[in-house]
Amino acid sequence: MTDPTAPAAPDPTPARGTSAATATGPGRLLVAVYGVLAIAATARGLYQVATKLDEAPLAYVLSLFAGIVYVVATIALAKGWRTLAWVAVGIELVGVLTVGTLSVADVGEFPDQTVWSGYGQGYGYVPLVLPFLGLWWLWHTGRAGRTAQEPTAADL
Amino acid sequence: MIVPLAVLVVALSVALAAWAAWYVIRDRAVVLRQLWGGAVVEGALVVQAVVAGVLAAGGGTDASGVLLWGYVAAQLVILPLAAAWAFAERTRWSSVVLAGAALVVAFLEFRLLQVWGTFA
Repeated sequence: MTDPTAPAAPDPTPARGTSAATATGPGRLLVAVYGVLAIAATARGLYQVATKLDEAPLAYVLSLFAGIVYVVATIALAKGWRTLAWVAVGIELVGVLTVGTLSVADVGEFPDQTVWSGYGQGYGYVPLVLPFLGLWWLWHTGRAGRTAQEPTAADL
Repeated sequence: MIVPLAVLVVALSVALAAWAAWYVIRDRAVVLRQLWGGAVVEGALVVQAVVAGVLAAGGGTDASGVLLWGYVAAQLVILPLAAAWAFAERTRWSSVVLAGAALVVAFLEFRLLQVWGTFA
């Protein structure tokens, strides 16, 4: 509140790739939540693929894929690799909406055991909310970078 | 699974979360003492992992090994990673990260008991 700009910000113009415009302030929390989801989804996917792939190949490969996307998103946001972050978070949004809708509509044999099933119901709907926050945050930090990083109320 | 040990883990991690949440309210970053608090939680987790290993070796659970140890490992790595990540940020958001991580540890304890079969 009293100190909206991160004093430890390594670079005053974080517009392009320089570390961490996306990983400071609220971004710190965003990356942490992504990290937890990355661990949860990847571990689950690996477990499913390793132990019971033949039960539901599509669901379990999708599960692992979702985990990998979260890992990529976490690293990209932490490192400030904006383009990669846009892509990864975008894939997540499409993934959670597609798989969520298909699982709710119960089309065919669609998986009900991935992070994205039921719009991320099993994970407190965090997988549904997170891509929206991620995209907003990328947009927000990108804009802040372009306008010489004025400290605004939106910094909180 | 040793229930008193699980209760201890949950109590310690919730206490750490509350401590960090208090710092969020006061708009402060994580301080070194909180990392020591995290080390105490981590110590309890290590003890629990060893105890679980001994019990599982003695056939104390029919939980799938990979699943069980996946949860044990995840619970062990969360706090050190989160603490390092939080400590490098010198705003209140560092406290938010620590509080969240401590709650995740408590939640994983719950899942661990489920996997172990304590509730079954």
